[in-house]
Amino acid sequence: MTTATVDKRSTRVPVPKTQRSRATASRSSETRGAWILLSPYVVLLLIGGIVPVGYAIKTALEKPPTPLDPSTGFGGVASFRTVFTDYRFVDTFQNVLATLVIWLPIMMVGIVGLALLIHASPGRFGSAMRFVYYIPGALAGIANFVLWVYLLNPGQSPIEGFWHAIGVDTIKQAVAAPGQLPFILTAMMFFQGVGSWIVVVNGGLNGISEDIFEAAALDGANAWQLAWHVKLPIIRPWVGYAALMNLAYGFQLFLEPQLLDQVASNALPDQWTPTQLGYAFAFSNYNFPAAAAMSLILLVITLGIGLLIVFRSGLFGKEDN
Amino acid sequence: MTGIESWSPGRLARVVSMLFVAAIFLLPIAGFVAMAFRSNDGVEAGSGGFLGLGDIAWSNVRYSWSQVNGFGPEGGLFTRWLTNSLVVAAGGAILAVVAALPAGYAMARLRFRARRAVLLITLVTMVMPNTVLVIPLFLEVNAVGAVGELWPVALIMGFFPFGVYLSYIHYLTTMPKELVEAARLDGLGEVSVFWWIGLRISKQVVVLVAFFAFVANWTNFLLPLALLSSNQRNQTVSIGLQQLIGASPLFNPTVAAGLDVKLYMPQLALATFISMLPLLAVFLGAQRFLIRGETVGAVKG
Repeated sequence: MTTATVDKRSTRVPVPKTQRSRATASRSSETRGAWILLSPYVVLLLIGGIVPVGYAIKTALEKPPTPLDPSTGFGGVASFRTVFTDYRFVDTFQNVLATLVIWLPIMMVGIVGLALLIHASPGRFGSAMRFVYYIPGALAGIANFVLWVYLLNPGQSPIEGFWHAIGVDTIKQAVAAPGQLPFILTAMMFFQGVGSWIVVVNGGLNGISEDIFEAAALDGANAWQLAWHVKLPIIRPWVGYAALMNLAYGFQLFLEPQLLDQVASNALPDQWTPTQLGYAFAFSNYNFPAAAAMSLILLVITLGIGLLIVFRSGLFGKEDN
Repeated sequence: MTGIESWSPGRLARVVSMLFVAAIFLLPIAGFVAMAFRSNDGVEAGSGGFLGLGDIAWSNVRYSWSQVNGFGPEGGLFTRWLTNSLVVAAGGAILAVVAALPAGYAMARLRFRARRAVLLITLVTMVMPNTVLVIPLFLEVNAVGAVGELWPVALIMGFFPFGVYLSYIHYLTTMPKELVEAARLDGLGEVSVFWWIGLRISKQVVVLVAFFAFVANWTNFLLPLALLSSNQRNQTVSIGLQQLIGASPLFNPTVAAGLDVKLYMPQLALATFISMLPLLAVFLGAQRFLIRGETVGAVKG
């Protein structure tokens, strides 16, 4: 057990001590190797994440050039004041919350309900249905939008009868009726998003051991009790993960309200969501400090949700232990 | 669950409600795809019957394509946009794979002090919506004077933390610690262990990372909108579709009146349908691996 005498010569002797000394000797080469392997990723992380955030902080603290005073320079928190006092700022967050209040519960019930139904349907039928539910998810972003223009425009919609029944004759009426937008966004995002989340939650359900179901069956549980009392508690981490991810998703809404406005002859507010407002600061007002401040505000919100997901959903970080 | 019991009211209700949801999901898509094969006259007349399926004809597609690809000052803009999308989506996916594999391996199998920090940054950036960084990214690209060029878009798309996480899980589950130890005892350095052993067992994760990155890049909207709007020839197809909508007489009669091409719903549906074909192709190519890697693909095993 003496340390000093255990040196090079004894490395061939398989005692624990030598292994540890070899480990410490290789430690620095391991660190070096790790950083070499990480270097492409670190470069991209800098370009695509760290540097832009740092540059946004710097930009947000500058003052915007105006026609009268074209100079830039340190402006303190003035850009944040511009953002907070903008007449649209509070509205955009209220709009997102109004959408989330409708969308999130429907989304979660849809995800969990359909995932449980699929899990209760073993064999071909279940996996076929899972695939079918996933198909709209492939129509991401703009493709989903054009599909919804097709559905929303009473002129050629397959649900034309429905639109006429509620007295809607143009896409403008369908989209821009007061209070309508959160429901339309809910429908669009549900259609696009539910399938991939069903796959995720279904993955959680498939991880449950058969023994648990057998034990529950022996206790006389029926399919409904099995789903409610056994499956649902076990998949709670996945459900929490889905809820938080979709919550964060609400804060990035841009494409749908922006383009719905375009097809509804600008009948909607031009800046309906926070991301749209940030975009307008940058590309309509050319006020880069305010645009940077707005994106930092959104960054802090989504970062908070992100940390919550990583530390509290119970899905991450256990692989190591 | 056999015989008469198998068609209990509960089972019937389950199957019927699942089929009902499936119909709600599939019928709009079927009608939309049919729309790409219809003529605007037929759409306006409401002919074609159920979902307009009776109205579809190849000649309509040829006419619609001439309109879609006739858009732009000299025409051909749509093909150009498709090419741009291929360049940035594939370029970004290649970068993502090249960066994700060694990084995922290092995080899974090497011990170094910043490991947990790098893992945490990867997880957090992975779960955050990538749109929040678009304006800071625009400011960064603007500062180097590269707004309107394709390469910054591809480079930024190469930062794909989900891919790093996928390969981290891949090496954690497929490459035993003992294998790494044995390779070291054979005198291989850390980079060589990855190069000669890690890469040998990486086919599955290469396909997964490339697939997810390509799909995310292809459908990305806000990043190309912010970085490429200033240069019409360098836009991607997702931004291009928005332009086509904006040029449709259905929604903007004044702009559309000044154009040679007429973009009604069949033309917009065809453009969208064509823009989805590359996604369909990569999905079919990666399908085998997606099913096998389902446990990894679905966030966590």
